[in-house]
Formats: sequence, C-alpha cells, structure tokens
Amino acid sequence: MPQTNGSQAAQPREAAQLRQAAEDAFAEEIAALRAADDRPRPPNWQLSPQAVVTYLMGGRLASGFEITPKYIGERRLMEVAVATLATDRALLLLGVPGTAKSWVSEHLAAAICGTSRLIVQGTAGASEEAIRYGWNYALLLAKGPSREAVVASPVMRAMNEGRIARVEELTRIPSETQDSFITVLSEKTLPIPELNEEVPARKGFNLIATANNRDRGVNELSSALKRRFNTVVLPPPATIEAEIAIVETRVAALGRAFEIPAEPPGADQIRRVVTIFRELREGVTADGKAKVKQPSGTLSTAEAISVVGSGLALAAHFGDGRLSAHDLVSGIAGAVVKDPVQDAIVWREYLETVVKERTEWKDFYRAARETA
Amino acid sequence: MPEIRIFGIRHHGPGSARSLRAALDAWRPDCLLIEGPPDAEALIPLAGHAAMAPPVALLVYRPDRPRDCAFFPFAAFSPEWVAMRHGIAAGAALRFIDLPHAIQLADGFGADGEASPGDGAPQPVAAPAASAAEAVPAAPAAIRRDPLGELAGAAGFPDGERWWDAFVESRAGEDGDVFAAIAEAMAALREGAGPDPGEEAREAHMRTAIRRAAKDGFARIAVVCGAWHGPALARHDAKGQAAADAATLKGLPKTKVACAWAPWSYERLATASGYRAGVLSPEWYDTLWHHEARVAARWLARAAALLREEDLDASPASVIEAARLAEALAGFRGRARPSLEDLDEAVQATLCFADPAPMALIRRKLVIGERLGATPPDSPSTPVEADFEAQCRRLRLKPGTDAGELTLDLRKETDLARSHFLNRLQLIGIPWGTRRQARGRGTFKEAWFLSWQPEWVVELVAASAEGGTVAQAAAGRVRTRARAAARVSELSGLIGTLLDADLAEAGAEVIRVLNDRAALSADVFDLMEALPPLAELARYGSVRSSDTAPVLAVVRGLVPRVAAGLVAACQSLDDEAAAAAKARLVAVSGAIALIEEPELTAVWQEALRGLADQEHAHGRVVGRAVRLLFDDRAVAAEEAGDRMRLALSRAAAAPAAAAWIEGFLEHSGTALIHGRGLLPVVDEWLCGLDEETFTELLPLVRRTFATIAPAERRAIGEALARPGGGASGDTAPGRTFDAERAARVLPILRLLLGPASETREWAAPEEDVR
Repeated sequence: MPQTNGSQAAQPREAAQLRQAAEDAFAEEIAALRAADDRPRPPNWQLSPQAVVTYLMGGRLASGFEITPKYIGERRLMEVAVATLATDRALLLLGVPGTAKSWVSEHLAAAICGTSRLIVQGTAGASEEAIRYGWNYALLLAKGPSREAVVASPVMRAMNEGRIARVEELTRIPSETQDSFITVLSEKTLPIPELNEEVPARKGFNLIATANNRDRGVNELSSALKRRFNTVVLPPPATIEAEIAIVETRVAALGRAFEIPAEPPGADQIRRVVTIFRELREGVTADGKAKVKQPSGTLSTAEAISVVGSGLALAAHFGDGRLSAHDLVSGIAGAVVKDPVQDAIVWREYLETVVKERTEWKDFYRAARETA
Repeated sequence: MPEIRIFGIRHHGPGSARSLRAALDAWRPDCLLIEGPPDAEALIPLAGHAAMAPPVALLVYRPDRPRDCAFFPFAAFSPEWVAMRHGIAAGAALRFIDLPHAIQLADGFGADGEASPGDGAPQPVAAPAASAAEAVPAAPAAIRRDPLGELAGAAGFPDGERWWDAFVESRAGEDGDVFAAIAEAMAALREGAGPDPGEEAREAHMRTAIRRAAKDGFARIAVVCGAWHGPALARHDAKGQAAADAATLKGLPKTKVACAWAPWSYERLATASGYRAGVLSPEWYDTLWHHEARVAARWLARAAALLREEDLDASPASVIEAARLAEALAGFRGRARPSLEDLDEAVQATLCFADPAPMALIRRKLVIGERLGATPPDSPSTPVEADFEAQCRRLRLKPGTDAGELTLDLRKETDLARSHFLNRLQLIGIPWGTRRQARGRGTFKEAWFLSWQPEWVVELVAASAEGGTVAQAAAGRVRTRARAAARVSELSGLIGTLLDADLAEAGAEVIRVLNDRAALSADVFDLMEALPPLAELARYGSVRSSDTAPVLAVVRGLVPRVAAGLVAACQSLDDEAAAAAKARLVAVSGAIALIEEPELTAVWQEALRGLADQEHAHGRVVGRAVRLLFDDRAVAAEEAGDRMRLALSRAAAAPAAAAWIEGFLEHSGTALIHGRGLLPVVDEWLCGLDEETFTELLPLVRRTFATIAPAERRAIGEALARPGGGASGDTAPGRTFDAERAARVLPILRLLLGPASETREWAAPEEDVR
C-alpha cells in the first residue's frame, strides 16, 4: 500500500508561505497543551477532548502559557462538536457565510490529529475519485489493477492514518457523489472492488464537513447522509462586541502575515465597519429604532475582516499609515453593492438616512460621497 | 425516650425522595411527622387509595372565601408523597405538623396580606395579592424556598438535582449520613439569615407537634420537613423551647377551613406556571424517579416519539447516536450521567439536525409534560365545587333543575353577576347556559337557555387544577388558550369573552400576549381581522360596566401596525384574496370610524392613500381604498373622479379596470342613492367617456351594477332623473334643465342600469322626464 504524501504534513514550511496552516501557525500552543494534558485521549488523538476545547476557546495553562481563543462564541457549541468527534460520529458544521465554519473545522482537525490538510474541496464538479480513490492510469495500463496504481483521496489517506478528513462546502458536491460518504461513515471502510480489497479506517479517523445553510437548496443532503452526521450550527456573532473582537484578532493576524507597515487600526474604525455591516445585515439600526433596507450580499464577518485588511493596506501604501475613513469606504461600498442597481440604492439610502445623521461619522459620510 | 430523626428534604426532589425512601425502609419509624397542613390530616389515608394518581394536590381553603386557599402539590417524586405512601403501607402513624391553615388563612394573620408565610412549604397561595407580592422573591426567601438549590448554585451547579446527584447520592455510604450532612449545611446557611416572624410561628408549631408525638409514646419518630427547617426543628427539646413556642403560638387568629384532594398537572407543577416552589422540568424529574437506571435512553426515546408524532423524521439510529453524544458530553463535562442540558444538546445535534424549530414544537410536551393526576371519586369536594355551589346559591341558579330560558337585564347587579358566572362556566367547559338572541331592544338584555348535565361535576373537579374558584379556573383556561393561540384575531376574540366573563386580570395578560404577538406578526390581514371586534369592545363594552381602557390601548397599538403593513400586504393578491382583503379594509375602516380618534383616523387614511396610489395592487382593493377615502372626505369628489378616470383609462387592462370599478362601487346602492356626492362622481365620469371607450367599459360597469339590488337601481335611476339629480352637488339650484339633452343620456342609462327584464319598471320615470 502506497504511503501517501501525507508526509507532506511533516515537512517544514517556509516562512514565505502566504498563509500558514493552523497546525503550523499554532504549533507552539498545541505543543504546550500536549505537554500539560493529562486527561485520557481517544485513540490516535494528540490531545484530550478537554484540551481541544481549550485550544479553540482559549485559556491559560497551569504553566502560565496563554492559549489564544480561535473561536469567539458559545463554548457549548465547541463542546458538542468535540464530543461528537470523540464518539467517532462525523461532524457537520452549518452556518451562513462568514461564521467561521472552515476556520473551526481547520483548527479542530489541527488540534485533534495534527493536520488540517486532508481536505476535499466541495465543488459542483467534485467526482467520486476526489472522495474515494483514483487510478494512476499509466500504471494501471502497464500492470493492471494493483494497490500501487491506486491514487488515494484525502479521505482514504485519513482513513489509513487514523486522522481527520475535512470536506468543505459539502452541499456543493452533487448528490450522487455525496452518497460515497455514506459507506465511509457507516461502515468505516472503503471498498476497492477492482482489487477485491478494502481500506479499513484506523481508529481516530473522522470527518468534519462544512456547509452553508443559506444555500441549502444547492444539493440538499439526503436524509441517509444527514443521519450520519451530528449537526452544529455556528450562529453569526451574537453581539457587536463579539464581532469586533473577531475582526480585531483576525486583522491583527493578517497584518502580521502580510507585513503591512501600518499602525493597527483604531477600535473606533473597526467598530464603525462592524456597525455598518451588522445594521445592513439585520435590516435595523444598532439602536433598534429605524429600519434599514437590506442589500443582497451576506455582509459576513469574514468580509468585514477583509474590508479592514484592505483598508490597512491602502493606508500603508497610499496613505499616511493610519487607517482613515477614506481607506475603508471603497471596501465597504464594494462589499455592500453586489447588485449595481438595487444595492446601490440601498447603500445611497443608508448613507443619507443613517450615516448622515451621525455627527461623529461626518468624515465617513464625506468620504463616501466623494467616492460615489 | 423515643428516637427522633429529622429528614431535611428538597421539595419535589427525586434524589431527595429516593434517599428518604431508603432511609425510611431501613429505619422503619412508627410515626411520621410531615410538613403539611394539619387541617387536612383526615385526608391522608386517601393518598393510599388505588384511584389516587399523582400529581395531585391537597387544597386547603376557606369555605366562605374559596379564593383564599393554599395548594400542596405532590408528584410521585415528591419526598412528602413518598413519606405518606411509606407510612400508609407500613401502618405507621401519619401526622401533618405545619402551622394549621385555619390560622394561616385567618384574617389578621401575618402582616400586609402575607397570606402564606411558608416559603419553604410547597404551596402557592392563589390569592392574587400574595402571588403578585411574591412574584419576585427577595434573595433570602429564595434560599428558604430551595436551600439545596442555592447551595448547588453556589457550587456552580445549574440545578439542585444535579448537585444532589454529585454530592449526596454518589458519596454517602449510609443514607442517614446524607440527612445529617444536610442538617449541618442548613445550620450554616441559617446562620446568615435573619429570623422571619412567619417562619417562627410555623417552626414553633412543628416543634410543638414533635414534642406531642414524643409524649404519645411512639418509639421511632421520623420528621420529614423542608431542609431549611431542619436545624430549627432539631431544637424541639431544648430547654425553655416549649414555653417559648407556646408564647409564639398564643392568641393567633383562627378561621374555618375545608380541605380536598384535587387532581394536579405537571404543567402547574412547573416553574413556568408561576408556582413558586415549582420545578423547571417536572417530566425530567419524573424520568429520574421512575427510570433511574435508564434516564438518558428513556428521555431520548420520548423525544424521538414526540418528534414522530409531529410527523418529523426521528430514526432509532439517531436516538442511539444522541445517547452516545449525551454520554460523551456528560463525561467530558465531568458528570456521572447526562443532565437535561447534555440531552438537550444531543437531541439538537442529532435528531433535529441543529434546527431549533422541531425542538420548539415538542419542548413543552418533552420538558414539562402533560401528565394529569386523578383523585378517587369519593374524596371531598374541591374549592371550585364549593365556590360553584356558593355562587349558585347567591345568584339563585339551581343546577339540575329543568331546562329553561333566562333573560338577564345587565343593568341589574345580580343579573350582571349571573351573566359573568355563566360565561365563566362556559370557559371551563361547562356550557350550562347557551346564549340566545334576546327579544326586545337594547344591548343591556341578554337571553340564555339553561340546561344542566350531571357529568359536568367532573369538569368542576378537573378545574381545580387551574384555580381555587370558578373565576380563577376560567382565567387559567383562558391563559392556556391565549398561549396556544397562533393568530392575533383568536386573541382578540378571547378578550371579548373575558370581558363578558369579567375576568379583568386574565384580560390584562391576554392583552399583553396579544400585544406581543401583534408586534411580531407579519400577517397584516390577521391584525386587520383582530381590529373590528376590539374596536367594538372599546366602544360598547361599557354596557357591561367593564373597563375598556386597556382594549382601547390595544386598538391604538394595532392601527399603526396595520397601517404600516397595509400596502405591502395588498400586493400580488389573486381575485379571491383581494375580495377578502377588501372586506377587511371595509371592516377596519368601520372600526376606526367607531373609535373616533382623529390621530388613528389620520394614520389609517394615510395608509389608505398609500394603497390608493399603488399601480400594481389588485384593482378591487385600490378601488375600495379610494372609495373609503372619499367616504371619509379625505379625498375630494374631483380627485376621486380623476382617480377613477385614470384607473379606467383605455390603456388599463380590462380585468384590472373591472376590478377597480367593482372595488369602488360594489354593494353601494344605498350610498349612490343617499350618499353625499358619490353619484355625481360616477355620473360625471360616465358622461365624460367618448363613445368608443364607453362601449368598451360598458360590460364592466354593468357587471358592477349587477351587485346592486334592483330596487336600489331603480332608486338610482330616479335620483338621476330628478332635475339636477345627476349633476354634482355644486350645481347651482335653479339652473335650467335641458330635458332634451338629458333625454339623450337615458338610453345609455337604461342600458346601463336596467337589464332587459326590468325595462318595464323604468318606464314610468322615463316618461316623467320626457
């Protein structure tokens, strides 16, 4: 049986890499948790379930080592997610875009099995080979079917190694292909009928799938598949404070990753971006007094993060290094106006009825008028 | 000297009940003293009756004022119930030792209407004053009520039962130790709390009862009381205590009380019902008590069964997975077995696919439960029955007599009270009287047809679970119905029923629910349906001398909501929906006219104007909106004419135009004959059409006029035929009438107004004109 290129996970990654995987970016934290962890671990887990939750929610270890929070939200959701994986049930993370589904899935996989790279990207073109196995056709033709000629999918590799496989955007995968997961999840084995063999899953194997529950209609999961998952819905940030905290931490991380030579953004600028996003998303002003038309876009927290990030880059390279309303405005308008006709009206109305009224937002209003 | 043990228990705590049962089985006392009303001591043996099925409650009430009553609910998992059942089975003496309710319910006992000093005892007092005052208990009172729960809270447990599980059940080697440890904890807790005069008297009485039992020569006396009282009762043989207690109890007022067993329900045992010593989830405790070993499996299987009842998918495989997840969650949160919270989350993640809707559907049944208790048929009558009989005597109504008519004059006090009484009975499911159309004039008359059915006695007993009197029980029923009502219009109907039954208090609650629903409701038509009955109540309710101000407040809240959503609601209606919407528009307009508040009228007219401006809404609705505005003089005759021309212009599609004119004129024969200025508007429009347009529109107009009664049509024709009749109101009197020109119109009018068969009827006026 071919040792798959899962060994990739062990290779040292260069610092120039655009984005580090969770297990590399937080290797130190995982190591510290591992050292301090004295609770029983499920087979093939590198941390105990409690330590995994601590890794996600943050906390201080007995040694004084600080674990940064990865997920800002309800602890019980993470507890349910981890307990699900500990009972070798597959986990389905649902949520509207930007609720940190992939982020949570990546960190769960990194904390549990040390790699978040066994990933199947769900697309409309995803085929069964992406989930089960493909063939090295040259070998297949030369030698006929053999284990050497089998090209393992990430799921097969995860089964082989007893690790966590991740499936992104499960509902985008065509229904026929989705069904391939049923055997994997219920029998915990992957038959290769051509060879009259099967690949049994080693202990520790599990699956984390993410799906957007707003476009559920794309390829709704069959009830047979649904029953094989425990479902956890990740809600949008409950409060503005939580959302600001998320944007702040992620922007800081982005700033480091891209080496943007700008001052960290002021809390008031972030608050303003988050306020605009929340008001438009919820269709009501923050004080709950006035209704606001909703644009067609989702205006997720992830988009708020990228707006602040690109604003920072603008400020660093074309401005005075300080994030100003000017740097943010085009990003925000771009995020809001997805439909050039309808959303433009929404955005204009919002500017004139809400932003204009706020005296401390004068600079933003002026900047928005100029760009418009 | 007899051996006396004090068992401090947690009211309605299954863990506590289990420890108590084990302790009693091991020790076998020959006398059990239970914290309960001594007034009801004679009823204890009934607890062992085969037909007695918990949840049941002991009711203690004043026969002269059944509103003043106290309930002592018992579930199968209540330690007091376990003690009673044990005592009956073992043949031990059973006594209730709390301060008698003959004293607690007497006038002048306690200060400021504190009818129930017993926070520790599991009784809510139904007197409204008391329950209102105690709805928000101060912290010390909370400790007294559930001291173990407070201890659990301090230790970081969300529920006393779980704390009991972790600290009591799983640790104590011998059950006796449990109670000793609890007594110690309570002693520590009590040190911090000040004395409470109401408690003093109760504990003094309990101590006295313990001393009496000791004198009576029992060998092993078990005292079962709320944990809070434990340390105080342990002092029963302290030096000088007897004298002190006698002094406390001296000269307390007394009254006559009666007692009864009444069937109870889990719903009323739950905290959510307002019962102060209630439990969060009676069904959960029930499962803990009856199925100790298989709590999780039992609970999850029930959840799945309930989901299936609602036609939702719940496969046994998912139940298994839910159980595994719950076990894992419990283990991982450091619990020996899953708690309600763990199970809840497991159900969400596996059975409901993290969708909150299915859980919301079954939560009430799953968590609170629907179990109803039963009492033996030969047990003494309940306060509701007593109240019923007292009221019947007072109002000179005899159940059981032959059927007959009863006409009430609501201006007379007795008759009004009779009407209220009959309405209340109807609410609790006893349709003794059915309303008849009253003969004669005047809204103050009400006719009833009375016919009594003997089996209704059962309804009276069942009603005990909802309150101490007919009125309370009726109010309880209404509250339940209000909670279940899905539509605002149902609630507005209920408010009318409540005013009829004079249940102002429940009315306030229904109004609150209605306001909440109305705020959340997206269904404008539902709100519109709710308005007219409320407006009528607000306007005419005073005939029954009920206070209608709150109803008016609801109307004031509803109108702007309806106005805000009106235009949106009237979009894309099909013909049928448009007809319904039109009817509602008319009804709401009438309601608002009835209220006569300029502000509301303005809001409503603005909404109508918005609707009238809609180009793509159904013509029938738009036409009627214009007409309503015209009738209210919010739109001048000229504007109405313009709008009519616009809507019926040639570019407009025929069906839309037909709908518009139908909406505008439908069923308005009288308005056309007598109404101010409507006829000229129509007439002017019609006369202003050129020939071609007219021919095209003729079928539409005829169709509309067909809805007007023939006699009215004739009257319209007469009005038009009268000199100046067809012209608009501003025609100067005495203007010369050109008969010849007028005659030219007539064939058209004949075509229009008179179907062929009726042409003859037209002959006369026609001739006149000529």
